[in-house]
Amino acid sequence: MDLKLSEEEKLVKDTAAQFVDREMIAREGDYLRQTAPFLPPGAPARRDLDPQVAQQLTARARDIGLWCLELPEEFGGSAMSAVARVLIHREFGRSILPFRPVSIPGFLFETTYGAKLADGTLALALAFQEAHRTGELSGLQILYRQEPDGSVLRDSSIFVSHPTADLFLFPAREQGTRRLGLFVIDRDAPGVTITDQTDLTTDDTVARLLLRQCKIPNEQLLGYEYEAGEIIAAEQLNMAARSLGIGMRCLGATIEHARNRITFGRRLAERQAIQWMLADLSVELRTCTWLTLEAAWRCDQELTYFEEAALAKKRATKMAFQAADTAIQIHGGYGVCKEFPFEGFYREARLMRLLYGREDELERAAGLKYLSAE
Amino acid sequence: MEFRLSAEEEALRQRVEEFVRAELIPLEAEFADAPDIFDGSRWKSRVKSSADPEIRSYVALMEELEKKAAAQGLWRLDVPKEYGGLQVSNVALIAVTEELEKSAIPFELGNHVSNILYNCKGEQIDKYLWPCIRGEKTSAFGLSEPASGADPSMMQTAAAPDGDYFIINGTKMFPTFADVADFVQLFARLPGTAGREGVTCFLIDTGTPGYRIARSIATIGGTEPCELVFEDCRVHKSQVLGQVGNGWALNQAWLGARRFQVGIRAHGKCRRVLRVVRELVRLEPARIDQVAATVGRFLGEIEALRVLTYLGAWKADQKMDVRSEAANVKLFATELLHRITDFALEVAGPSGMRKNHILAKTFRHARATRIVEGPSEIQRHIIQRTLFREGAASLELA
Repeated sequence: MDLKLSEEEKLVKDTAAQFVDREMIAREGDYLRQTAPFLPPGAPARRDLDPQVAQQLTARARDIGLWCLELPEEFGGSAMSAVARVLIHREFGRSILPFRPVSIPGFLFETTYGAKLADGTLALALAFQEAHRTGELSGLQILYRQEPDGSVLRDSSIFVSHPTADLFLFPAREQGTRRLGLFVIDRDAPGVTITDQTDLTTDDTVARLLLRQCKIPNEQLLGYEYEAGEIIAAEQLNMAARSLGIGMRCLGATIEHARNRITFGRRLAERQAIQWMLADLSVELRTCTWLTLEAAWRCDQELTYFEEAALAKKRATKMAFQAADTAIQIHGGYGVCKEFPFEGFYREARLMRLLYGREDELERAAGLKYLSAE
Repeated sequence: MEFRLSAEEEALRQRVEEFVRAELIPLEAEFADAPDIFDGSRWKSRVKSSADPEIRSYVALMEELEKKAAAQGLWRLDVPKEYGGLQVSNVALIAVTEELEKSAIPFELGNHVSNILYNCKGEQIDKYLWPCIRGEKTSAFGLSEPASGADPSMMQTAAAPDGDYFIINGTKMFPTFADVADFVQLFARLPGTAGREGVTCFLIDTGTPGYRIARSIATIGGTEPCELVFEDCRVHKSQVLGQVGNGWALNQAWLGARRFQVGIRAHGKCRRVLRVVRELVRLEPARIDQVAATVGRFLGEIEALRVLTYLGAWKADQKMDVRSEAANVKLFATELLHRITDFALEVAGPSGMRKNHILAKTFRHARATRIVEGPSEIQRHIIQRTLFREGAASLELA
């Protein structure tokens, strides 16, 4: 057993940490204080990263190897290990800036879209609607029929969380065989419409991807059950890692605030009510850190890791929510201000808990499996 | 990063796994109705003087197991090499205990040796340390007092120097097994000292004039800790363990080292409690839906406890400061065991409260563990102290 980071892992982590401190956290003030360009009456402001800033950040991140982390070496990437990706996303999670390395499943780089995905000309979104409930795809409703020259999709509507993407990756089941196929489809392909665009209470937008009389060429059928499972697990690990970053930021900032803030003649840090909130949070943060790293390590070692990734995601996102909640509570009035990052983390973490497996569903599935085992 | 055990540790783990499968599991039925005395560790202390034929028959089984373990080289795992032990890593000890806990039989691979006794010098080694390693003597640990428990720096028991002797006066509460132990590791303070200063550890034989066991006290956890009274008890300076005045470090070392074992023991007990739930639900399949989510949540928590425990043990092997990790594990483990058992009792109903039922036993034991060796509140205190001293950096990766 050796739980130290290797030299390589340390380098990756330090590079990401520096980038997040210098390029992102340093820019948070402008981002958080921006006045909303347009505001539906009564709704909180929707924030967005200045497109120019986003471009600069992308260029810099790409320069230092913090972009397209899954890009294989033969295409000029560094094919980061799952542990390295966790370390990177953990650092990015510390900043409220809506900017992070894109996650693109490795096999997509072998397709005709590969080069454009790698250089950022094309953006990819996952349309794994059913997976958000249970963290797996047994309830998948979208059906296709295999014909010699392609797959014909039954008309469907899929929830997507990045409707501005150029390509959508989604799973569907073959009628009759129930075999799962993983398809990529262009937003401009015949039969594809994006509709019902809606803002979420996070600064994200969702929409419906309508598929009407779509036929998808065979080369766009990219994978099967296992690849779909890998994508879900990878998303779960990303979210778990991001949650760790949120936890670190909230905990660190709150400790600092509690050290300085004085009420009724004593520092908050001397108050047991405050100490215990932070002690409990730190136990959970430490636990989640190692659950996530172990799941990622298992992935790298080609051991089974889907259940471990789901557990890491479940606990870590909940921990991030608790971290943001604690940070808001201890920062008091500042905590709820949009000029501080905590309320943003709070909204983000609440959403992450609903993606790729809700707590109750994951727990129920694990419980049923255990109770029906011999 | 590497989560696997080293080849050596893995080989040891496999041998223990095999021992548990071949020797312990087959005896489980026989031990199902064993007296409470065999619950938990250190049964040996408690049965030494028993003439009860039923207890003797269990003792005979245990001694047979000990011989088999020793014959397979699975003995004295945590004893340093210079004392004929294997001196395996903390991580390996955790892995071994994880295997042992797969059986409900409270069997340990080696005699219980208080880790601070390795500070014995000169004649103390033959008089106390070796007999403990060989299982011929057992010890008790006298730290808490009527007016100081969680905060031992408040202790009042006095050790007044008198030539080559110390005169000990005071009362100690709750040393477990003191009534059957051969000696007690007693903490007392020098005149004019306060707090952590001046605390000194003495090895005091049972029967020393001026030392008496006033009573033993029944507890919910099944143990019967004692009240010890010292009245002008004269102890020669050669009975000081370590150095005069360094007793504080010793009591902290004693507490710290046990935490990770507490964690992995609780891990095993949690798993056994969930197995009971599984068997109960099997009798009433309609209840599966009712309990599945809760069981799933606890499974995740049990896994979290395992990870935390190994992390702490690994850090201890790296000689890092593990006070915060140890407190994490103690807090997490004992609170989790308590909650799981509470839930299991809800599933079992009143029949789970039958005195000899595994849930009832675990329930009583679990309640005590949230107090014994530092209550949960002290663990949180230790955790926050590190947090405010080092900031979030204390959770950074190494």
